[in-house]
Amino acid sequence: MIRTEGLGKRFGAVQAIADVSLEAPDGRITALLGPNGAGKSTTLRILATVLRADTGRAWVDGHEVAADPAAVRRAIGVLPHGAGLYGRLTARENIAYFGALHGIRRRALDERIAALIEQLDMAAFADRRVAGFSQGQRIKVALARALVHDPKNVILDEPTNGLDVMATRALREIIQTLKAQGRCVVFSSHIMQEVATLCDDVVIIAGGRLRFAGSLAELKRTTGRDDLEEAFVQVTGETAA
Amino acid sequence: MSGFAVVLAKECRDNARDKRTLFASFSLPLLGPTLFIALMSFVLTNALGESRETFRLAVVGAEHAPRLMDHLARFNVELARVPLDDPRQAVRDGDEKLVLVIDPTYPDRYRSGETVSVTLIYDSSSMGSERRNFERARQMIDQYARKIGVLRVQLRGIDPTVLQPIQVTEIDVASPAARALTLLSMLPYFLVLVVFMGGFYLAIDATAGEREHGSLEPLLSQPISRTQLVLGKIVAASVFSAISTILFLVSLAVSVPFVPLHRVGMSLSIGFADCVAMFAVSVPLILLGAALLTVVASFARSYKEAQTYLSLVVLVPTLPLIVTQLLGFEPDTWLMLVPSLSQATLVNSLIEGDRLVWSHVAISVLSTGTLAALLTWVAVRLYSRERMLV
Repeated sequence: MIRTEGLGKRFGAVQAIADVSLEAPDGRITALLGPNGAGKSTTLRILATVLRADTGRAWVDGHEVAADPAAVRRAIGVLPHGAGLYGRLTARENIAYFGALHGIRRRALDERIAALIEQLDMAAFADRRVAGFSQGQRIKVALARALVHDPKNVILDEPTNGLDVMATRALREIIQTLKAQGRCVVFSSHIMQEVATLCDDVVIIAGGRLRFAGSLAELKRTTGRDDLEEAFVQVTGETAA
Repeated sequence: MSGFAVVLAKECRDNARDKRTLFASFSLPLLGPTLFIALMSFVLTNALGESRETFRLAVVGAEHAPRLMDHLARFNVELARVPLDDPRQAVRDGDEKLVLVIDPTYPDRYRSGETVSVTLIYDSSSMGSERRNFERARQMIDQYARKIGVLRVQLRGIDPTVLQPIQVTEIDVASPAARALTLLSMLPYFLVLVVFMGGFYLAIDATAGEREHGSLEPLLSQPISRTQLVLGKIVAASVFSAISTILFLVSLAVSVPFVPLHRVGMSLSIGFADCVAMFAVSVPLILLGAALLTVVASFARSYKEAQTYLSLVVLVPTLPLIVTQLLGFEPDTWLMLVPSLSQATLVNSLIEGDRLVWSHVAISVLSTGTLAALLTWVAVRLYSRERMLV
């Protein structure tokens, strides 16, 4: 369960986000939607305790992000933009590194990694060095790494970027599984179809401000449009080019 | 395992798989001493052979001066009577190193008591023994000329000492051993360089490299304190630097016996105990180096940028050494306050077989250690700033 209240963040002269309040409940998939540079990543990075908000507050499972970052870090798993893996380590070693940083004991960690490799269908490349991996394989490794400590909340920053059709489908299934397991899943995207097929709730950010928060059905109702893309364009206030 | 140990183990394993890091960290300590020993042996052998070696002297027109030839033949000279058309060109081309040309007018002028002329042709721009051999040939000819001069003056009933109002005696105190020792005093430079190069690439990979590959952000969202994270990275760089230092000392200890020091009546052996002592006094410098490299590399956004910065940073510890070398300071208490200089001085004492002054060791460890701790603190502060990621 993730909640924010009036989040604001400024980088020098640029106001990246302002007054962003949203809620992502457990057992649902919440999409953070917005054009490039809208402030999606900034919002997610504040939730991941990497950035500190200038204004507003955020909670993950009731732990306040600014006050108790350690508890928040244990409660979330983050798939960062571009995976960020260690090329000279194998897939298994990459996952094990973060598991060990979470303080998971050796035997429990081995079992957990074996389960993740099975679940994410990674057996074929689990013990190869990451350097030569395809983007689909990298995302899987990064996802397994984010899930190694079995977090209740999962944040995915543009996870489908650079994936081919098959890899996207596989990822979609995995995200559905995470939801079925009762986790709170938040992912950012700028691809409408992806959001439509996958998510329960939508949060739309444009120009650093919250434009809409609610279910897909509500989005269609408030905009009076049946086509999601049209609805999105209307909400962000941008004209279709 | 604590977060610190996890990070330390990961950085060491990760970098141990990088050929570039391994090569850059460990090639200098392994090959350095070998090159150094080769250089030292060369200098020694050269210095020893200076006065004894024979050299070739090509003579054009030897038949005009048979007595001069007899005189020269008494020295260590290999006289070669060669008919050269253009002796200058022969020297210029390197066919001959040293040519003595005797003028055809020699016999007549000699007989009538006039000044005769001979020409010595050599190339002072060529490296090696040409210059020295020229001086020797010149001296031999001068000696012969003096002898003739003395005889001629005596024939005229004059005391030959009037020809020599001043006699200069030359004494060169630089023995071959002294030259070898000058070289030996370069060892601490080497050691300081090895210490800094050992952790060079790991420090870059663990900071700027991590940033460049986008792995820093997920790492910083893991439940590990910044202090443990940064300590893990600095100690990992220290481990590589320490391995590098040990390799250097072992490689040195193994190659030193190959220097022909016994030929100049000197003995130098670097034993196991010396190696341990040299390593021990270097430990604070190893930590300082790792912390300094980590702090500087943390400012860089890419591997390349970090490489540029650190190439300059590794020169810093050699500056105090160069300055004191130029000004010629004696080992003193205040020198022990300066990192790298204090270790260099202590290592030098160990090489020369002097006993270590314990107060010096204590000051060296404390001052360098304090600076290392301070830099580590700075690194932790850096990683606590979110500007690290934006």
